[in-house]
Amino acid sequence: MSAAAPECRQARLYIGADPHHLPADIAAHVEACAACRRFREETLSLDGRLHAALDLPLAHFRRAAVVRTRRFALAASVVFAMIVAGGFWLFRPSTALAGEVVAHVEEEADSWNSRDNLPATQVAEIMRTAGAQFDSPYPVVYGYPCPFKGHRVAHLVVLTPDGTTMTVMLIPHEHVRRRTEFARDGMSGVLLPAGKGSVALLTRDGAIADSTADEIVSRVHW
Amino acid sequence: MNAASRGTTVAGAFTRLLEMLRPDLLRFAYWLARDRQVAEDVVQETLIRAWKSRDELKDPAAARPWLFTIVRREHARLFERKRLPTVDVDEVEALGDPALATDDAALLDLRRAIMQLPDEYREPLVLQVLGGLSTAEIGAELKLTQAAVLTRLFRARNRLRTIYGLEPVEDVE
Repeated sequence: MSAAAPECRQARLYIGADPHHLPADIAAHVEACAACRRFREETLSLDGRLHAALDLPLAHFRRAAVVRTRRFALAASVVFAMIVAGGFWLFRPSTALAGEVVAHVEEEADSWNSRDNLPATQVAEIMRTAGAQFDSPYPVVYGYPCPFKGHRVAHLVVLTPDGTTMTVMLIPHEHVRRRTEFARDGMSGVLLPAGKGSVALLTRDGAIADSTADEIVSRVHW
Repeated sequence: MNAASRGTTVAGAFTRLLEMLRPDLLRFAYWLARDRQVAEDVVQETLIRAWKSRDELKDPAAARPWLFTIVRREHARLFERKRLPTVDVDEVEALGDPALATDDAALLDLRRAIMQLPDEYREPLVLQVLGGLSTAEIGAELKLTQAAVLTRLFRARNRLRTIYGLEPVEDVE
């Protein structure tokens, strides 16, 4: 694919620059020129890989302590701004909390790919660090005492009896008044009051059954 | 709906928009900075600035290019303010950064190749592919002519063709 005619060089410039959007005259040339058509197909294929390459997983973007403080400061500034705007977050705290749970889980999206049971000792250590007790009815396949809103919380993924994974976040320092369901970015979840704190459950596999949620909450103690 | 209610609804919608786009903003900042911590700082500053300037966003459909533009400016501002050293990416730990890791060896090679593209090629490419900016928008943002944008994007892809197992084509003048 070398020593191209001037019109082919021009076409390849446009294809190489933006293979998805070609001017009409370039598109007409590509239609008639097998070599340029092949070049476009190759470039479109490359672009598919480029998308995949640039779409980095964000699991490694965990912040250092000093930076978490800044994140908290950001959250505080946003909350302040919203209070100024009309007190939205004051009256909808569970919505804000749900958003933060989703954002946190999205940053650890790989957690849903785990399938190996965590040893009980490791789960116990996570609970100890996060200041929670949880006798999980399901196998725990992922767990970490994650930084969340200035505290450590237990971020677990359990394998449910139907083979799907479900995130369980035990949040001792955030109390919610009532059960709140939410759906965002392809996930569905529910925030549940649990004593002085709350429990967040999330799944990518449909709704969470009330019985499942109730059983999990009944096994959480602070 | 009274004015206060409208204000809170708009504020909530804007926050959801930021939440939705934040992952891609982080990715874009990372590809610009090639450093996770810098990227996180840039995105935090971006979110704060976006919040303060939210009235400037008239069309929610334009949020993505608008936010990418803010990321780019915050990145430049951070470098200017902190006078961060620029480094040769060949020497940088970035190529071994776990953020790039994947089980797909070919994809890892492609990520590393993108990391090693000169800024002048990497930046428009990421603005286009990840940010969804048109060549005209990229030209406006980078203060380049349309021809210069086309050339840079062409050369970026042409360099990456070999990593993808394709023969590079004749360069453009």
